[in-house]
Amino acid sequence: MSDLEVVGVRAMRGAFRLGPVRLEVPAGTATVLLGPSGAGKTTLLRALAGFLPLTEGSVRVDGAAVERLPPERRGFGFVPPNLGLFPQRRVRENVRYPLALRGASDAAEKTTAWVARFGLETLADRFPNELSSGQRQRVAMARAMAAEPRVLLWDEPLAALDVESRDTLVRLLRDLLESERIPLLLVTHDPATAFALASRVVVLHGGRVRVDRTPDALAGGPLDRFLARFLGYENLFSPEELTGARASSLGARLASWSGEDGLAVPPDALSWRAGPGGTHEARVAALRWTAAGWVVALRQGSLTFHTTAPGGVPGVRVGDVVSVEVDAAHVKALEGLPGEDAS
Amino acid sequence: MSRSTLAGRVLAAVLSASLVGLFVLPLVALFFYAGWGGISFALGSGGFRTSIEFTLLASGLAVAIGLLTGVPLGYVLARYRFWGKGLVESIVTIPVVVPHLVVGIALLLLFAPTSPLGAFTASLGIPIFDAIWGVVLVMVYVGASYVVLTSELAFRAVDDEVLEAARSLGAGPGEAFATVTLPAAARGILTGALLMWARGVSEVGGFLILAVAINPSIPWNGPVTQPASVWIYGYWGIDPAAAAGASAVLVLVALAIFLGVRILDRSGLSWIRGGWFS
Repeated sequence: MSDLEVVGVRAMRGAFRLGPVRLEVPAGTATVLLGPSGAGKTTLLRALAGFLPLTEGSVRVDGAAVERLPPERRGFGFVPPNLGLFPQRRVRENVRYPLALRGASDAAEKTTAWVARFGLETLADRFPNELSSGQRQRVAMARAMAAEPRVLLWDEPLAALDVESRDTLVRLLRDLLESERIPLLLVTHDPATAFALASRVVVLHGGRVRVDRTPDALAGGPLDRFLARFLGYENLFSPEELTGARASSLGARLASWSGEDGLAVPPDALSWRAGPGGTHEARVAALRWTAAGWVVALRQGSLTFHTTAPGGVPGVRVGDVVSVEVDAAHVKALEGLPGEDAS
Repeated sequence: MSRSTLAGRVLAAVLSASLVGLFVLPLVALFFYAGWGGISFALGSGGFRTSIEFTLLASGLAVAIGLLTGVPLGYVLARYRFWGKGLVESIVTIPVVVPHLVVGIALLLLFAPTSPLGAFTASLGIPIFDAIWGVVLVMVYVGASYVVLTSELAFRAVDDEVLEAARSLGAGPGEAFATVTLPAAARGILTGALLMWARGVSEVGGFLILAVAINPSIPWNGPVTQPASVWIYGYWGIDPAAAAGASAVLVLVALAIFLGVRILDRSGLSWIRGGWFS
């Protein structure tokens, strides 16, 4: 059981400057790192794991500074994006590796236990290239846990997984957090993972912490376009797009509601019916069938909105004129988020 | 299948078969010319058998030295950036392009008994001229580049993420090298060693200048002999059938060693690839 504290950490990778970053991950909890590509998420994990020297700041585990220790002595289980499995070793040998390294007398028993815990018994004699993505993730998890880490750092654990494999891994990670009581810091682009696992969500941008909130506070609080997109908002418009669309009735209305970083117009904020005569008029630009039903693209001037079909049936064709109403209560003004104090 | 596609495939097959034929047919001719008589003569010749034993010993020593020096150089070239790296990489390829007779002359000029370096090595009990160490030196010169180049490629192919995972699992830099990097690169290194060995055994030009008649010296304590290739070259003017028989035997020995190493690679050496403690 241990807590991870990151205090004013700065690091450099080429011309990219990370930090200052401050965050805390209490034992038995998960913090999710979000951010656009190049925000510094992987750089932060590698710096914490000891593969990138800090230029400033401290990394503490249970109050003890570890930033001067080499990676092998930090006790950080670091799982890189491609997992870093040993291709020439079988699953059992991969899991056994950290135990054999420290000469554990009960290495065989512990290997068997971890292999069983992650449901890898029937795969134990296979090589990593003989496994599916989800199975490889479980091997990486079992191997990382066999090292008995004090902190788990995981970069994109659930990337490129099908829904079933992802749910299995999320469940395994939650069980681990409860039973092993270690802090987990993970990078993900998947909101379902973030909300299923995270106690806190930290958003990095330009190498600095922009947001550090609980998932509930994240969904209910102010959002910028990146966060709105992450949370699944559709029809995101920048202030420039809205300003450019002021000549149209819908554009002028939406521009008046815009926040500093634009506006999100969820499908439930839009209602429409076939034919002219409504507050706003638009044309059907496209119709697309998805597993969730029909998606109707409506265009007025330079703005295109994606929405659903009333009653589940479009009843219109591409090029038809439709009447559109917008419910102000459901649109979300997007704000430029201030950089939160991270030093 | 369109006619142009069919014509392309036929052309590719003919060209490929031509090259494969070029590889195989000379050996077939060699075995036919030698016949059982030539082969049995070579097998019965004490001089030839001694030259084979000598060649295997010298090539083994050369490969050991090539691995000892070439693998670290390959690792440095694969993993580090430093001033003059391009120059070092160019130097490593020099032996591949220098004519081997020239190699012999250059080494002789450097290590002749009358030269300062030759006198120095002789004083250390390591004679070069007409000694096993001269043969080893030529073999290392003409073959170690293959160990360096294949090792470099093999080390480059080792994923950084795998090494970082090993470090975070508790392996120090040396342990990560021994348990992850080296096993992952083992096949490439082995290939380089095989190429080096084959190159050394097939050498003639360098031996003819530097070490054509080998006197007993540590570690060779046998009678005066020659590298097998030089023995064959010398016999070609005396008894072509016997030389062809000896050539056939040398080819068989080389093929047996290649085959043996490959079988070992697939089975017995798995402990290297799996890591020394698994």
